[in-house]
This record gives sequence, structure tokens and C-alpha cells, in this order.
Amino acid sequence: MKILKIPKANLDLFVSVLPAFGDVYAPVKRGKGYAFDRPLRWFDVQMNYPRTILPPKKFMLPPREATFAFDPAKGFQDLLADAARQLVLFGVHAYDIFGLNILDRVFAQGRYSDPYYVTRRKATTIIGVDFEPDERHFARSMNADFVDSGFDLFLSDIGEEYLVLVGTSRGDDIVVLSSSLLETPTETDFDEYKRRSGLRRAAYRTRLELGDLPEILEMEYHSEVWDEMGERCLSCGSCSMVCPTCYCFDINDEVELGSRAGTRIRSWDSCLFKTHALVAGGENFRSQRASRIKFRYYHKQRGFVAEYGRPSCVGCGRCSEACPARIDIQTVIETIRGERNGTASSVARSA
Amino acid sequence: MSERKTILIIDDDRDFVSAIAALLESAGYQVRSAANGRDGIDLAKLIHPDLILLDVMMTERTEGFFTLQEFRRLPELGRTPVMVISSIYAEQPIFRVSPEAGWLPADLFLPKPVDPARLLEEIRKLTSASSNNEARIAGRSAK
Repeated sequence: MKILKIPKANLDLFVSVLPAFGDVYAPVKRGKGYAFDRPLRWFDVQMNYPRTILPPKKFMLPPREATFAFDPAKGFQDLLADAARQLVLFGVHAYDIFGLNILDRVFAQGRYSDPYYVTRRKATTIIGVDFEPDERHFARSMNADFVDSGFDLFLSDIGEEYLVLVGTSRGDDIVVLSSSLLETPTETDFDEYKRRSGLRRAAYRTRLELGDLPEILEMEYHSEVWDEMGERCLSCGSCSMVCPTCYCFDINDEVELGSRAGTRIRSWDSCLFKTHALVAGGENFRSQRASRIKFRYYHKQRGFVAEYGRPSCVGCGRCSEACPARIDIQTVIETIRGERNGTASSVARSA
Repeated sequence: MSERKTILIIDDDRDFVSAIAALLESAGYQVRSAANGRDGIDLAKLIHPDLILLDVMMTERTEGFFTLQEFRRLPELGRTPVMVISSIYAEQPIFRVSPEAGWLPADLFLPKPVDPARLLEEIRKLTSASSNNEARIAGRSAK
């Protein structure tokens, strides 16, 4: 892997040439939080942010997208070309890149790939940046605190400069274009990288033991904890919406009034929604809130492990932050493991 | 309705704006101006100019680059010709990424100080006919 470095003082100029590779999106302030959006000036770009409200999956799997239009008079019009817009996501954290790598397994690497997702993924340049974990991050426990693939460039803070890891040939094209702004790193820079890397690993305050969690979930399938969580959960789906790896979607045909022409719309769905397991005939396989929230944990921490060899969780902490009922994934897992008492109050953060 | 073409100057150098505005007005153009990128975007959305003259180093040294990206993304302004006029290459010698390298989505880059005769000629070319603009933009999109 090619490694360069860029002085922090050159970063504004570096980002200014990124439009050669697509529309630039970066973390910017949004209310009390942060969001990937279009910066109107360099000052808007936040290099030190804890997490964005929504993960970058919103670019690959938009909350709502038109897949094709239909009209009895004209036939079908595939809208796949609309997904081919070239994007540059600047300042993506490692766990979010890991989240995209997990989505790749589902949408791009299975027997049937999703052309809309794949088109957007290929059209998107990813430039990562490292971060200091806060009390909600547990990416270290999920082995998602560092990534070695899924990005074009990755910036690691070494003080007055960033080390620039080149991950792809597209990343190499970027550093070639901006070569006047980059420098060759020294042994001292590598030592500083290793020192800071160790500090970042040690900075995680939240640690979860996942070793035999699938087995323990199997044993605790009938635990009262799920009923207690069901009492608390509002089924709002916020945890799914902000999750970098939740990918359930719904399909609806929107037909124009007085016409048979319309558009097929794909939009985000959530297994927490009451209608998620509702099928024709009125049968609902998960009509109770407890069964729905249990399903979410079993899918992400057990089912996905059996299918893909790892949980579909990257430890970003967004679900805990977004939950209006203050259900906290760390507390849930510790309760299931028997490390806490299983009461309704114990699976929620103290107010 | 006025037939005069409207040119928006986005530049924080008041002397430069006054001088260029006087030059353009004497050549028959209507001129509006803004002193930073955000104000320039807001004003452009309002007046839909025929051409934008854009500085780079304003509140920030790269502000014009970000402003230009926003213009190109806005449906109502994405096709408006933009001429970048800046001394950034003289003042930031480390920045050796040529405007010809395909990253700057501007129609033309002119270094400051700008030659008045050349400026008027380039403005005339860029504002000459909307059909020419359509062809030019189609060519740019195909890159």
C-alpha cells in the first residue's frame, strides 16, 4: 500500500481539487449533530466529529429512490442511470467504511447483486479519516475500528500532518493530481502513526464481549429481557434508520391519479415497524414489539454471524444515541450475557 | 424588458469590483456584485445572471472553489457560465494543480491582474448565444 503525507495546512487546497472525481460531500454541522453534506467553504468541513446522524449508506441506498418508471403507452424506463452520479465522500470514519463493506456482502457480492447499489458504490470515492472514540463508540469490540479495504484514501492524524494511505488506483489518481500538496513520510512519521494508533485503541471506554454471543442468544431466546425491552421500545425504527448496516427496504408503486403510469419506489423499512412482517391475508409473524426488537438483535448479532461470519454491527453507537426510549445496545448485550440484572430499567440508560 | 446581459461579480476586493463593474457597464452590461461565496450564491439564485465572474481567495483562500462546486450542483445555475479570476497561483505557489487538469468546473480561468480587452472578449464569447452555451455544456458533461 502506497503511503504519503499531507500537511494539515494543505488540506483545503487538496479538497478543492476533489471535484475532478465527483461532487464532494463531507461532515458538516447539522443542528446539534453532524451530517455528510456539501460544504460551502472549507470552514464548514468538520475533521473532528464523533459520528454523523446518518451513516454514508444514505448515498448507496437512498432513503427513497425511484428505480423505474412505467407507462402503458411508453413501456418501462429504467432509472438506473440516475444512480451513476460521481460522488466523493470525504472524512468517513473506519467503522462507516466497514459498514459499507458489510453492505457490499449483501448487495454486491451475493448470488444476485443489486444494480442500483453497485452503480452508486462504484461511482463513489471514499476518503476516510481517523477519529477519537467517545463514550458511545465500541467499534474496537466489533473489530471495525480500522479498515484495510473499502476506501480510496485514508487519512491518519500524526500531528501537523495526515498520513495518506492509498487504497485503490482511483486513490492513486487523486494523489497524482494533487502531488504538489503531498510529501513523502519519514520513519519518524511512521513511529508517530504507531504511537497514535495504540492510543486510539486504548481510548475506547465502551467494550463489549462478542466471543460467544450467538450461542448465548440461542440460550436466551425465551428470556424475559425481550419482553421488558418490548415494553419500552416505541417501534419508531430510529435505530434502523441510523444504522450503517441495516438494509431492509420496502417497494411501492406510485401511480398517478387517473392514469396507469407511475414509478416504482424503493424506500427504507425497519424490522421494528409493525407492518414489517405483515403478509397477505393479514397474518403478522411479529405483531408484538418484543418479538420485533428481539428479531433485530438476533438478525444482527446471530443470524448475520452464521451467514457472513461476523455481526452486522460496527460499533458506531448511533442506535443508542437515536433511541427515544433510551435503549442501549451495550446494556442489552451485557444483560443477555448475565452481567447485569434483566429488568426493564436495566436495558435502558439512566435518564 | 431589458436586453442587457447581467453579470454577477463575486469578489471581496472592492477596488477590483468597482473597476471591473465600470468597465462592464461601459460595454453595455448590467452588473451586480457580492463580496463572498454565500452571498454570491444567494444573489445568483435571485437574479439568474448570464455570467458569473468569481474570485477564489475571499474569506477563505479556497472559498471560490467551493462556491463554484455549489453553482454546478444547483439545477437553476448549473449551466450559467462561470469565469474564475484569481491570483491564487501567484499567492499560493505550492498549489500547482493546473486549471487545465480537469478538476475546476469553470468555463475559463484568468489570472489576476486581468487584461481588460481580453476580459471583454472572453465575456462576449461566453454570453454570445445560449445555443452555444448548450453545446459547450454538453461537451463538458461528456468529459
